[in-house]
Amino acid sequence: MSPRVLLLLFLRRWHTRIGLAAVVFFLFLAVTGVVLNHTAELGLDNRYVHASWVARWYGISAERPRHAFRSGGHDLIAANGRWVLDGRLSGEKFPPPIGLVELADMVVVASSTSLYLYGKDGVLIDRLERNALPGVPVQAIGASASQLMLRTASGTFESSDALSWKRAPRDAIAWSSPADLSAAEGERYAQMLEPGVSVQRVLLDVHSGRFAGRYGPLVVDLLAVFLTVLSLSGAWLFFKRKHRRERH
Amino acid sequence: MICAARRLLAVLALALVATASRGEVYQEPAAFIAEVFGSLPAPKVLWLTKDLQAQAAAILGHPPAQLRQRYWSDARRSVWILEETGKEELITAGFVIADGHIDHVRVLVYRESRGQEVRQSSFLKQFKDAKLARGDRLDRDIDGIVGATLSVGAMERMARLALLFDLLSHG
Repeated sequence: MSPRVLLLLFLRRWHTRIGLAAVVFFLFLAVTGVVLNHTAELGLDNRYVHASWVARWYGISAERPRHAFRSGGHDLIAANGRWVLDGRLSGEKFPPPIGLVELADMVVVASSTSLYLYGKDGVLIDRLERNALPGVPVQAIGASASQLMLRTASGTFESSDALSWKRAPRDAIAWSSPADLSAAEGERYAQMLEPGVSVQRVLLDVHSGRFAGRYGPLVVDLLAVFLTVLSLSGAWLFFKRKHRRERH
Repeated sequence: MICAARRLLAVLALALVATASRGEVYQEPAAFIAEVFGSLPAPKVLWLTKDLQAQAAAILGHPPAQLRQRYWSDARRSVWILEETGKEELITAGFVIADGHIDHVRVLVYRESRGQEVRQSSFLKQFKDAKLARGDRLDRDIDGIVGATLSVGAMERMARLALLFDLLSHG
């Protein structure tokens, strides 16, 4: 056999082998790539993976819920940027709460820089940021004679609707304070409030190989080299065959 | 090796979270309102009834985040500070509506890592004098920005919502 035929056979054999060996990875890269291109349409940008092993893999240490804020028939437990208000889970990236107050027609949760107003059914009515508050940081939230009370560095303020505020006397205010969770409650809420990693981030890391650690991207680089070899050898084989047909 | 990889991922994740949560504050909302009216007036409230929630959801493509919308107004103008997600993070924008038309728009806080071009006046001036047309759409097309498609979409949705809210706030 001539060297040219031997080279052709060698290329064909390795073209097939590399193609077969890499087919699963190529399919995987193609699928994750297409999904990443459409994360918004697929609604993946606001979805989170709440699995303890994923959080551990990302080096995120889970914060254990230790306290609950209670007012009237309502309770709030928070950890890892998530809240459970009356058994209902919030979304992600919520600030650490500093208190909870039940008023006549709403439940108000305070963080140091914002207020969250909920209806009695747990539906969010309004979220007030620092610009809408009489002062920040908010040090405590409380209630007095059906009024919402806020203690800030610049004084104590009261409001009936969380829209307009006026200075208030400091006496006879029931300030919200945390209550310890029992061990059983802590365990139950720890499971509910596991930290999350966005699906988009996980997909991106899986696609790029970073999910597998330092050498993951090198494996993906190697796959890119394989794909290049496959493309070139495939093109070479195609043109060689076409050239041979034309000669015959 | 695995520990190092985890540490690297954790650092990357923390850096991303820190950047995203800080955002780029171009103007505090209170300063924007004060700039429009000369001082900071008391806020008014538009309650989102079931019908209004449905209309808002049709514009946004998802239910509105809250049931009480604050706004500020005088005899002729109203100011709406709205928030909508671009790709992953909220964009805060201020809309000034006068006589049912958009007077001007400003991006106040931008939290995404890309797409900041939506704050440029060359983009925002497209909204000038826009009003609501049939189907709660704008009466004009807004030209997109390459690489900021989702932020442009968010700005357009907020503009439609501000016009709708303004219309309904007049009763």
